[in-house]
Amino acid sequence: MGLEQFKNRNVGRQDYVMLDLGHTPETGMGKFKQVVRRTVKPELFVGLWVTFREMINALFRGKMHTVKYPLEKLPISPRYRAIHEMLRLLESGHYRCIGCGLCEKICISNCIAMETRYDENQRKEVTEYTINFGRCIFCGYCAEVCPELAIVHGPRYETASEQRASFSLFEDMLTPKDKLDMQKEFEGFGAVSPNADENIKKTPLAY
Amino acid sequence: METVTYTQVETFVNNLPEVTAAGVWIKAIIILAIISAVAGFGTYLERKVLAFMQRRLGPMHVGPYGLLQIIADGIKLFTKEDIVPQNANRLIFMLAPVITAATAFIALAAVPVFPDFTVPEWIPVLGGTFVPSIAADLNIGILFVLGTMAAGLYGPLLAGMAQANKWGIIGAARTAIQFLSYEVVTGLSILAPIMLVGSLSFVDFNNAQAGGIENWIVWKQPVAFILFLIAGFAETNRTPFDLLEHEAEVVSGYATEYSGMRWGMFFIGEYANMITISIIAAIVFLGGYSEEGIGWLTIILKVGFFFFLMLWVRASWPHVRPDQLMWLCWKVLMPIAVINVVITGIVMMV
Amino acid sequence: MSEVKQAENMVTITIDGKPYQAKEGEYILNAARANGVFIPAICYLTRCSPTLACRLCLVEADGKQVYACNAKVKEGMEITVDTPNILTERRAIMEVYDVNHPLQCGVCDKSGECELQNYTLELAVDEQHYSIADTKREVKNWSSVLHYDAALCIVCERCTTVCKDMIGDAAITTVKRGGPALDKAYKTSMPKDAYAMWNKLQKSIIAPSNGTDQTNCSDCGECIAVCPVGALSSRDFVYTSNAWELKRIPAVAPHGSDGFQIYYEVKPTSISDRTEKIYRVTNEWNYVSLDGSARFAYDFQNTTAQKDETAFAKAFEAFKKAKTVRFNALISNEEALMLQTLKERLGLKLYNPEVRPFQKFLGYYQEASGNRFWNSDPDTVMKTADFVVSVGVALRHDSPSSKYAFNNVQKMNKGAGLYFHPVGDTLIPKFGKNVECVVHKPGTEEAVMYAILDLFADKEKLPEEVRKYIEGFKRTEKRTVTEKVTKAVKEQVKDEETGEMKEVTKNVVETVEKEVEVEINGLLETLGVDADAFMASFEKMMKKKESFALFVGEDFYGHPRAENLAKLVALVEKCCDMQTVIIPPKSNALGVALICDLDDEVEGYTIGYNENGDFKLSALGDGDLDMPAMNQQEGTLCNIGKRVLPTNAAVEYNGYELNDLMKALTGAPNLTIDWTEKLPIEKGFKSVRFDDLPNRFENDGTDNRGYKLENPSEEKPLPSVEPFDEAAVLEGESIVYRCNPARQFNDFTDKAHEIFEAFGLYASPEKAETLGEKVVVEFANGSIELDVIADEKMTGDIMKISDFKAAKGVYDLFGAYRYQTATVRKV
Repeated sequence: MGLEQFKNRNVGRQDYVMLDLGHTPETGMGKFKQVVRRTVKPELFVGLWVTFREMINALFRGKMHTVKYPLEKLPISPRYRAIHEMLRLLESGHYRCIGCGLCEKICISNCIAMETRYDENQRKEVTEYTINFGRCIFCGYCAEVCPELAIVHGPRYETASEQRASFSLFEDMLTPKDKLDMQKEFEGFGAVSPNADENIKKTPLAY
Repeated sequence: METVTYTQVETFVNNLPEVTAAGVWIKAIIILAIISAVAGFGTYLERKVLAFMQRRLGPMHVGPYGLLQIIADGIKLFTKEDIVPQNANRLIFMLAPVITAATAFIALAAVPVFPDFTVPEWIPVLGGTFVPSIAADLNIGILFVLGTMAAGLYGPLLAGMAQANKWGIIGAARTAIQFLSYEVVTGLSILAPIMLVGSLSFVDFNNAQAGGIENWIVWKQPVAFILFLIAGFAETNRTPFDLLEHEAEVVSGYATEYSGMRWGMFFIGEYANMITISIIAAIVFLGGYSEEGIGWLTIILKVGFFFFLMLWVRASWPHVRPDQLMWLCWKVLMPIAVINVVITGIVMMV
Repeated sequence: MSEVKQAENMVTITIDGKPYQAKEGEYILNAARANGVFIPAICYLTRCSPTLACRLCLVEADGKQVYACNAKVKEGMEITVDTPNILTERRAIMEVYDVNHPLQCGVCDKSGECELQNYTLELAVDEQHYSIADTKREVKNWSSVLHYDAALCIVCERCTTVCKDMIGDAAITTVKRGGPALDKAYKTSMPKDAYAMWNKLQKSIIAPSNGTDQTNCSDCGECIAVCPVGALSSRDFVYTSNAWELKRIPAVAPHGSDGFQIYYEVKPTSISDRTEKIYRVTNEWNYVSLDGSARFAYDFQNTTAQKDETAFAKAFEAFKKAKTVRFNALISNEEALMLQTLKERLGLKLYNPEVRPFQKFLGYYQEASGNRFWNSDPDTVMKTADFVVSVGVALRHDSPSSKYAFNNVQKMNKGAGLYFHPVGDTLIPKFGKNVECVVHKPGTEEAVMYAILDLFADKEKLPEEVRKYIEGFKRTEKRTVTEKVTKAVKEQVKDEETGEMKEVTKNVVETVEKEVEVEINGLLETLGVDADAFMASFEKMMKKKESFALFVGEDFYGHPRAENLAKLVALVEKCCDMQTVIIPPKSNALGVALICDLDDEVEGYTIGYNENGDFKLSALGDGDLDMPAMNQQEGTLCNIGKRVLPTNAAVEYNGYELNDLMKALTGAPNLTIDWTEKLPIEKGFKSVRFDDLPNRFENDGTDNRGYKLENPSEEKPLPSVEPFDEAAVLEGESIVYRCNPARQFNDFTDKAHEIFEAFGLYASPEKAETLGEKVVVEFANGSIELDVIADEKMTGDIMKISDFKAAKGVYDLFGAYRYQTATVRKV
């Protein structure tokens, strides 16, 4: 490999577009001419105009960018993975979690723990559920693996609190009963795809 | 400040009551209070204007529309720990900000800041005292103002050298060259209007332009106006010539080791200087407060325009390199200024 | 006779083109499994009879479709596991299993260990072609421990099979489900085997076999272990944990002397309490079947223990002034060795009433036979024997593994069994139609042994005087026997159609009386048996029998004539071509017997280790110094199979161990398990480090846990036995028998929350009625007040008194012998 090849190794196709930047003046006269040219050309005033225009836009045309964050919040993608929420069934208000423990199993930072028992209705009752948010890396596996869409990532991304435990118990994460009508269906990781029906073979039913 | 007290020069003011020491005192206090406040308010304005030009909101949380931000900042500056670096020259380190602030306010002594008024009779003790528009109406006002502002160079220079910090030293060096160089341009550019008016008194300048916009000196001396404006930006350390404390190159320059109220004094001095330069430009080139009846309003508008211009420019333009700064000063601006003076002289003689 | 011969004829078979070795007469499925070849099968259990419920194990052998679980290998057999037809059948079968199976895998306790799930995936069932209306199937609790979710049940019948063939309780069976019949169209459209399997599945469900809602069984929970789906589980475990969260700790069931392999399955107690707790016990159910104490008595750990330095100092002082250490069989070999070291160094006496009689008996046996140990174990009996005799064992209570072997021989080896015991039992006769129960008087065990010699011994080998002694019991009697004789009679019959007379030969049965000489065996009469009837059925039992086994139990060890009994056992072993198992009483009795020189008397200041004493070391949390329970310590235990088995700590322990005391008293290695390699080699132990001990079963079921104790034998002349001493016989109506209810062995089983069997006086229902609710039993040296509990499976007048509570001092009341005459008064 020659030196030239060596220098040019691994530099892509080298189809660069060269910009015409002009020449740097070398003589005093050349520099003076450049100054005059630049002074006379209204470049500087274009700059002034741009900023002034933006100010007008911002103040009078409602194009202000700023979101007054704690008071206003931008809509967040359903795929965003913030603090978990435990959803309820809309019809009965019972929590959706069936206590299968898949989230606990799949959790790669091993921060989910749950307690279950056999209840009076012969169902598996979740007596306590907790996520150690000091350890959670918000990978979203739990929401993805949940067969009931019971644990989902909510939009609550402000995770600062005085106590780590503040969000982490079942009650904290569960949709409050009185706000059941405000519960939104989850569209993020693990949600049923819109064309799910097409991918399922139907089981024959005798009744 | 006590410097005002010995400005006991007898000044001739047409058709005005006698200027008493009490009036001068009141004026001095007004200047100090108002300009300090306005300097603070200037920081608020600067942040707001810059924000608007970037389509942001700027300070919004402290008080309505963030208006109390100045007070919050003041409280913060006053309550911060006073730190003096270990190897600094303590005395000079502590003195330097005072020099900056003091020279800025001294310069304002010879500048007409607000219209004159008489303290209402019902106020005890001071009732009936006449408060002049200029604390000390010198016949060499312009020279005095330019001189004190030039002396203000000592503030950053000493601060930079006293703090035993390499960024401070570089900042100080830049201060020296920048201020000294542009001092020349300022002086030369303003020489032509002085020649036209034939006085160094601001009052004379004001009177000379009375009678309408067409009498403004800016029409006669546009080149001098632009040169003065450019030099003024450099003198006040504004973008595009804010090289003294350019963060990307020299941290905070001469102010690197300063914090709290000491740093605050540099800040106030800088904003006071901005106002001073704006007032000079307004009086010398844009007719001052000469408009009949509404002079006090027009000068506020004119000063406001210049202040806004400084912010506007900061929002729009990038700054230059130090070498370009020097090149511009000595090879472009100064020759133009000299030529302008010569041409003015020739025109006056012809 | 040395170890039982394992020689089996090996044959060569070919599976999918590869040659393999297999034992002759073995089922194809077992042969394949032993060789690591996979044949799908759900319903088959290795040590039980084929059920033929699932039909998945269909293979092609020599061109014919057979069920691998039910077809035996032959020399040169060529087997194909998958043919297109078989694959279609299997796939259809799995689809059928998935019909109406609830889709609640998320909450199912099987949690991924499900065979239904595995085979559904294995056979790639991704589509369902069959359907039928579902039947409502209720969730039921069958007993205090069994939970049955019928909806999940696939009626593979593994539970019923294991209960019948292994456990012997036969407490559950298939009953009618009451579901709709299959659509006729399926019969033609479906693969044949799948249809047959579905037809059966659709009709049946599992239920207690006594027709009620409650099983009447020993609550061993083996049905839970073998259930391939989540239908059967322990009531305590339901919905408390997923299998994958549980950490498996290999261990040995500590209570009985069977040394069952178990896993303690642990995970943190709760979210707030992260200390680990045992959630359940599982086992390698293909190779070992547990009893209830092994499976359910797991939470006996000492949780209160802390390192209490004052208590430790007091314990140190106590050992300094102590004269005796009293302990029991529930102790690891290492700790037993520590105590023995204390005896040697400090001159302490070791008192262990549970083990001492056994140790003596073992000594007599060794003296008489020249063998260090008995020559067989329940596992070998299960595999090889076809005639089992049990003497001196309360089979349902003392040794579950022996009970399972006794039962399994009947079911799997077409075997026969003789059960000699003074306490009548209603369950054991049901093990098989060739099982005879002989209820003899307590104290006549010698006569039983002589009877066994008479029945099984090679008379040539017997010493002359013994043969004569036995012959002396026999006499001949003349009896009139009615016999049926068939005679051919010729008759003239008129043909109705033709009117011709014909001569027709007819067979006519006549009854003839005959006088016969009958040999009457007086020995059997001594035992209270109708000798004639017994001999008749015995002859039937002996048909085609080749391999005999004898279980000898705890009744012998404390027997007044123990020495003579030991000699008789040795004689039986030598003259009868019989495998023998001497069942160690409880836990690690064998280890203690080998390691410790036990004393007969308590003397002076006594330290009780899990026993009464002046200073009490206790793993129950009630003593003066806490000790770790068996599930909190590492160590080895010796079992009935003469193996040294490693067990591990499942639960955290924070207090002092015996080894800490040893360090202070005599100096000791760092860890308890450092004693393992110091176990006495002259007693059969090997110098192996604890961490090097293997702990697993091989694919073909070979037990490879720990190591087998060395069992050298020296040639000895036949022991000279004494005649039967009638003085030892106990008579009367108030004989009590020291015997625990099944699942209870000691204070630790009692502490476990899933063991409910009460402490008391157990009697047959009739006897219990006469006794009332509460009785005082007066012995020569004291009395005890007991609740009366009726045991439906008992017959006769003898009453059983539990001994599992050390504090009640039952051992001291009884003395060494398990039978005592006592006064039983109503309260």
